[in-house]
Formats: sequence, structure tokens, C-alpha cells
Amino acid sequence: MNWRYLQGHLAIAGAWGCVGVALLPLVHMFAIVVTNGERALSWTVFTTVTSGIAGGLANAIAGTFMLVGLGAAIVVPLGVMGGIYASEVREGRTVGAARLAADVLAGVPSIVIGYFGFVTMVTWLGWGFSLLAGSMALAVIMLPYVFRATDLAVQQVSDDLREASLALGATRIATVRGVVLRAATPGIVTGWLLALGIAVGETAPLIYTAGWSNYMPALKLTHAPIGYLTYVVWTFINEPFASANALAYAAGLLLMLLVLTLNVTARWAIARRA
Amino acid sequence: MVSEVARLAAARRNQEWVWSLLAAVGAASGPFVLGVIMIVLLVFAWPSIVWNGDTFFTTYIWNLGNLYGGAPVIRSGYAAASGASYGMLSFLVGTLLSSALALVLAAPVGIGVAFCLSEFAGRGVSRVLSFFIELLAGVPSVIFGLWGFVVLVPWIQRTAGPALASLLGFIPIFRGPVPTGMGLLASGVVLGAMILPIIAAVSRDALRAVPAELREQGRALGLTEWEVARDLVWRIAAPGVTASCILALGRALGETMAVLMVSGNALNYLPSTIYSPISTIAATIVALLDSAMTDATGMAIHALAELAVVLFAVTVGVNLIAPAVVRRVGRQRGWVASWVTGGNP
Amino acid sequence: MIRNVCSRRTAALMALIAAILPIAFGTSGLSVAWAAPVKLLETGSTLLYPLFNIWVPDYTHTNPDVQITTQGTGSGTGIAEATSGAAQIGASDAYLSPAQTAQDPTLMNIPLAISAQQINYNLPGIGAAHLNFSGPVLAGIYSGTIKNWNDPAIAKLNPGVNLPDHEIIPVHRADGSGDTFIFTQYLSFTTPSWKEAVGFGTSVSWPAIAVGIGTNGNPGMVQALKQTPYSIAYVGISWIDQTNAAGFGYAALENRAGKFLLPTPGTIASAAAALVGKTPPNEAISLIFAPGPNAYPIINYEYVIVKGKQADPGVAAAIKAFLTWCLSPTGGGNELYLTKVHFIGLSEMVRKLSQAQVERIGQ
Repeated sequence: MNWRYLQGHLAIAGAWGCVGVALLPLVHMFAIVVTNGERALSWTVFTTVTSGIAGGLANAIAGTFMLVGLGAAIVVPLGVMGGIYASEVREGRTVGAARLAADVLAGVPSIVIGYFGFVTMVTWLGWGFSLLAGSMALAVIMLPYVFRATDLAVQQVSDDLREASLALGATRIATVRGVVLRAATPGIVTGWLLALGIAVGETAPLIYTAGWSNYMPALKLTHAPIGYLTYVVWTFINEPFASANALAYAAGLLLMLLVLTLNVTARWAIARRA
Repeated sequence: MVSEVARLAAARRNQEWVWSLLAAVGAASGPFVLGVIMIVLLVFAWPSIVWNGDTFFTTYIWNLGNLYGGAPVIRSGYAAASGASYGMLSFLVGTLLSSALALVLAAPVGIGVAFCLSEFAGRGVSRVLSFFIELLAGVPSVIFGLWGFVVLVPWIQRTAGPALASLLGFIPIFRGPVPTGMGLLASGVVLGAMILPIIAAVSRDALRAVPAELREQGRALGLTEWEVARDLVWRIAAPGVTASCILALGRALGETMAVLMVSGNALNYLPSTIYSPISTIAATIVALLDSAMTDATGMAIHALAELAVVLFAVTVGVNLIAPAVVRRVGRQRGWVASWVTGGNP
Repeated sequence: MIRNVCSRRTAALMALIAAILPIAFGTSGLSVAWAAPVKLLETGSTLLYPLFNIWVPDYTHTNPDVQITTQGTGSGTGIAEATSGAAQIGASDAYLSPAQTAQDPTLMNIPLAISAQQINYNLPGIGAAHLNFSGPVLAGIYSGTIKNWNDPAIAKLNPGVNLPDHEIIPVHRADGSGDTFIFTQYLSFTTPSWKEAVGFGTSVSWPAIAVGIGTNGNPGMVQALKQTPYSIAYVGISWIDQTNAAGFGYAALENRAGKFLLPTPGTIASAAAALVGKTPPNEAISLIFAPGPNAYPIINYEYVIVKGKQADPGVAAAIKAFLTWCLSPTGGGNELYLTKVHFIGLSEMVRKLSQAQVERIGQ
């Protein structure tokens, strides 16, 4: 009798211990990035551009926003429309193929997408390192998440709503647009935020499609390399210069804050479901 | 009046048609992009597949050949630099070992966390902890690499490595001395930290999907909380938990940046101990892509494309098994399951 | 229609997202959208990178119509991206191979300065003292035949030094590297067995050593040294201030005359004097293992790889102007820049050859 209860207590304690172990890297990562990063973080970091191994992060921040923004603009219509199609049509070859492709695409390592982007867009199409090549690589990475989230969110909408709307005389399209989408919006938006979070943290594909630039990006779609925050972390942490390391930590801190913001916003959107 | 109605009906039908078409295009975009990627990769890898044949998978010497002299070697219609020989076995072994180590480290901890969040913690605490676990899932992999490089590698070299070597040194793979912190152990730990939230979150959903009545019946029969979890809930949730581990494995296999910063970039040998430097396929593609482009025969690029094809095949194969099961579990719990299947940086 | 689809809250969310993007676009585009300066990307050798980082700010200060981004990515990347056109200026410590020039005859390698390489080691107990090393001994270390620091071969070159009893951890460059090129050339020219088995190149098939580490870039080599006691690495001389600051010693290398020399401006100039006279018009020549009693064995030209055929005449003109400034003794060729990175300048004859190649850009 005693052994049973003891075993139970030990197991539960063990489970809580696992939680501690799991949270340890997160806490530690945040700690080192914050302590080292906030030392380097001042207003000038947001307004100066990187020059060599010192300077600021203005170009990297702007580049990240532009790459992710353009990528999202490309992928959101495609992914949302595809998700609606899959969840409304429900069965059939196209739907099956789309769902399978999304699962497969989500599992493709991003370096493979980067290599593919380099070979097709940068070299063969001749765009060179560019905003467009980088955005399209990010769009390919984001597509399965937007599609899947939309698919599942729209599926969750109860059929009663659909039937009621149709019974009132609305067309199929009006039903989808007016009733179903409205109910599924929090789920869909959360899918966007998930995809944005992933895109913000990508490095490998952008190394081979976006390149790097020490200057603020101009509104040029091709033939102009563009900077982004993850490059700073990846490259500058290795440099034996304090100024470069400081920039790397500052970029890391900004990235963590971006991811945190997106997560919090997604949680807020989930709460809307109720 | 009738023609007015007819005109409106026609307009409506056109609208329906346009919207349906747009939606179908959206749905087709996924398969289209995937198809293009697969074709391009295969086309680029074909010369290497033909020229290298079986030795690509059975040897571990990766030699670009003499790029500064010597006549190109022509075999089966394709040319490569003299002295070139491409064998990916060391990259394959490095990838598999580091991912396996990551799974061995992360699965118990992740499942423990899942049990805690689903069975033992209260609703409020569980929600807060879930938020942090999912936050860990979203951290960019360069940050993991940064943490690994700055914190983990020196720690392994100075503290953990020697400690392991003295404690477990009688087992060959743990035998010291520890030359450097960069290697299989560091890669496994970093990858483990990255896949942990996937296992935790998806397993938690699998556990939560088990109906509450089952638990209540177990308690009514006099089982403790732990016994209910272990004997009843686990048995039903086990497939979902297994799927989470498979999914996590798929993510670990394709991981690039974090491993590149802590693996040690070994070349031409297979790891012998847990501290040996290793190389993974994904990290090798990043590291060698530019030097491959200096090969005028182009065979080095084709060999890297073949590496990419192998990586693509392995990760996709693994990832195809899991989502089918996960979706069945996820549908009951909502779309939260897709939230943490995370991205491959 | 919009009224039906969106609730107020969703509309607010969408408006927020819709507001952020244009602001981000707008503020970023504002500064440069009107001026439209010429943008050049310089990428490649991490040995040349520190020099570009002190050249570019001064040059763009007086020439604000051109924007030059510098990247330290390795000579392999420099050659590859210059060849494909992804970068306008590729930096490389290695000259182009015959196969590469055959592929694109307008590609040129243009020396801008002469640099050198040192062998650094992190040896507790030895610290910053200078050990003697020869080509064959280094080849032995990097082939795995010499495994321990107190090996008789090393002890023979360093009598009286208390070498530690520990395995050697050789660090090499995992990326396509000009430093690898000149180091392996030194090994090839001094050790026939290395030349047979491995040869030289920007990327070689390093012999299997159970504890050998690969890193990216010269910064990576410095970091590897810092993190790994008992390691040995080949590092470009423009990084010697960083390795000295970290307390690592560097080797006195055996030259062709059998003397052990440190890389000083005098020994580098001596080696250069012996060989630069032989520079051909295409300027692809190795300066490794120069003859002469005072010649340091590992020196090289620092090249920029440029395509003669440029799509955009504005870009071609900008590249020409910049490279002319880099070569000029009153511009980039000024001693003040070069001594900061421990390079030496080109002789007049070579400067003329380089300038002649620069003139061919854009034709």
C-alpha cells in the first residue's frame, strides 16, 4: 500500500522535474541573450546600419520585416484559399494531393529550399541575391503552415452554421465568406502568426537567396542583396571582436522579442475562439 | 423582372466560378511547388547519381579532386575533377547518430512534461507552462546554435565531458580524453533541446484526447493518479506519443544552423566516441556549397544536390508517417497540434 | 462585403498588421529610393576582409554615390559568387585555376596587396613563445602521423623546449578557403607525400584525424583556438592582433634555405622580392616557399576576382574606380592601411599589371 503511493509521488515529482529540465534551456537562452544583448541595445542600434563588424542593426531589422512581409503577402492568399478549398470540398484528388503536399513540404529541410532557390531564382532566372528570391523561399517554407491552419480552422466550424446560412438562401460562396470564414478567422490568423514566427527565424535559405547587405534596403525586388537579423547572429558571434559579438547578441534579443510577441498575439487570438 | 433575376443569377454563377478557381489554384500551389522542387533537385543530382553510383552511399571519403590541375575524369558520360571521389557515409552516420541521441535525450523528458501538463498540473498552471513550452518551439535555431556555441561547448569540454569520461569511461563510446566540446554530444544536446517542445506539446494533446470518463472510472476503482496515468491513459495515448517522437525525429534530421555551429565539421571519418566531431548532411550542404561552385566540372555541385535529395527523401519519409496519426489526434483537440510541429531552420 | 466578413476585432487586427508593413517598407525605402547609388557586393576571403573593412568606409565617405557591402565568407565563396555574378567583387587568397579561366575567359584575378599566414597554437605552458615548425612536420600533424605534442619530430626542431604530453588537435577550414589553399601549397611544396595524397586547393580532402575540427572563416579558426587547448591552426596574418591578444603563440616556419622565420614585414618583403618579378600578365602565381635566406615561406597575393564582362556599365565603372583607388599609393595602397593588417604593398611592376587588368573591366 505504501509503495504504491510512494511510487505515485516519485513519478509525479519526476514529471515536474522534467518540466524543470525542459524550461532550463529556454530560461538560460533568454538570460544570456538578454544580459549580453541589452548592453549593446541602445537607440543607435535601430538607426545605424551595419558597417563591417560594428554599427547598428537598422538594415537587418528592415530587411527581416521586408522579407517576411513580402513572403507573407505572397503566401497568405494562396495558403488561405487552398485551405478553404480543402476544408470545403473535403474529399477528392486535389484535396488529398494538397494535404499530402503540405505535410511533405513542412518536412523539407530549409537548406534544401535554399539550395533550390539559389539554383532556380538567383542563378538560372538571374535575379541574383534579392528581396524577391528571399521572399519566395520564405513563402515556400510558410505555405504548409498557413494551409494547414486554415484547413483545420475551417473544418472546426460546425456544419449547423453552414446549413443555416444555406437555408436562408445564401450561395455557397457567400456562406463561406460571410459565415464560415468569420468563425474561423482566429484560427486562420493564428496560422499566419505561426508561419511568420518560423519565417523570422530562418537563416539557411536566406543565406543563399537574400545574401547580405550593409545598407538599408531600397525597394528593389531583384539584383539587390538584403540583410536580415539571423545573419547577424550566425556570422557575428564567431568574430573575435567585442563590437561584433555585441551586435550578435542584440540581434538575438530582437529575434526572441519578435517570437515572443508573435506567440503572445497568437494566444490572444486563440482566446477569441471561445 | 425575370431577365433581372436571370442576370443576377448569371453574375452569381460567374462569381462562384471565379472564387472556386482561385481556391483550387491555392490548393494546387502546394503540390506544384513540391513537384518543381523535386524535379529540379533530381535533375541537378542526376550526373552525380550516375557518376558515383553505389560508392556514394558506402564510402566516407569526400574528395573534390584536384581543382588546380590534372585532366577531368570522364565516366558514364559525365566529367569530374581528377582524383575526385564522393562518399556521404560519414554525413549520414553523423545525421542519424545526432538525431538518435537527441531523441533519446528529449523523449523521456518531453513525455514527462506532457504527463505533467495533461495529468498532474492544474488548468491554469498547465496553460502557463504550455505557453513557455510553445515559446521554446518558436525560438530560431541560430539562437539555439548561439547558446550551444557559447555555453554548451565550453561546458562539455571543461566539465561535463571529463565527468562523463571518468564515470562511464569503461564503455567505449564514453572513453576520454575529451579533445573539444564540439561534436556528437553537443549536437545531440542542442537538437534534443530543439525537439523537446514538439514531443511535449503533441504528446500532451494525445494524452488530453483520452476521455475523462476513463480517468474517473480508474479513480473510482481506487487507482492513484499516477496509476491512472500509467495504466489507462498511456495505453490509449501511446500511438499519439509515438507519432510525436517520429515528428520530432524528422525535425532533428533536417536541422541545419544549430548543428553547424556545434558539430565540429568532421571530414572523412566516422565518429568513434560521443565527443568525436561529426558532420550532418544539412550542415555539410551549407558549408560546402560555395567551394563546390569553384569546381569547373560541376560535379561537386551535382554531388551536393544528391546529398540534398537523400536528405529530402529521409526527412520526408519520416515526416509522412507522423502527421497522419497526429491529425487524427489533433482533430479532437483542435488545430493546436499543428502549432508546434515547428519549422526547420 | 467587408462588413460581413470581418468583425470589428478582426478588422482591428488586420489594420494593425496592414499598418506595420507599409511603415516598415516606407522608412526603409525612404533614405535610398531617390539617390539610387551604385551598389557593389564584395564577398570572399576572410584574410582580406579586415582590409576591406577599413578601406570601404574611407572610400565611400569620399564617394557617396557608391555603396559597398563587405562580407567575410571564404575565398571559395568569393570565386564562386564573382563567377556567377551574384557578387561584383570576389576576394580570394587563391588565384583562379586553369579550368576556371577556361570556363569564363573574362574572369580576372587582380592582386591588391601581399599578405602572409601564420601557424597559431594554443599550448598551455608554452603560451606566446615561438616554436619552430617545418613543412614536413606540419604535414605529419595534419595527416595524423604526428599525434602528440612531444613527438620526437617536433622536439628535434625545438631543443630545450618542454613540450607537453598531449594529443595535438589540428584545426582546418571547413569552408572553401584561400588560407587552406596557401597552407596546403606550403605542405605540397615541402612534402612530396602530402602532394601525392592530398595536394592543394581551396577545399581539400583532409586526412582523417579522429580529433580534427573544421571551422568556418578565419574568425572561426581564432574561436576554435580559444575553445580548444592543445590545438594548432593556420590563420591569416590580418588576424594576428586577435591571436596575440588571446595569448596564442605563432610558429617560426622553415623556409627553403632551412632557416626558421617569423612573419615580419622584413621577411615577407624578402620573399616577395624573390618571386614577384616572375608575375605573369594574368598575375596567377604562387608566392609560397620563396627562395632566399630571409624569405618567409607562406606569403601570397591578395586577389580580387572580377568578371571583365559586366552587364551594367555603371557597375563596371564603379568597380574600376574603386579598384583603381585600392591600388593607388595615395588611396588604398597607402602604407597606413596596409600596416594595420600587416600586409605589404605591391611593387611598381605588379601595380602596373594589376591596373592593366582593372582597365579591362567593362569591355
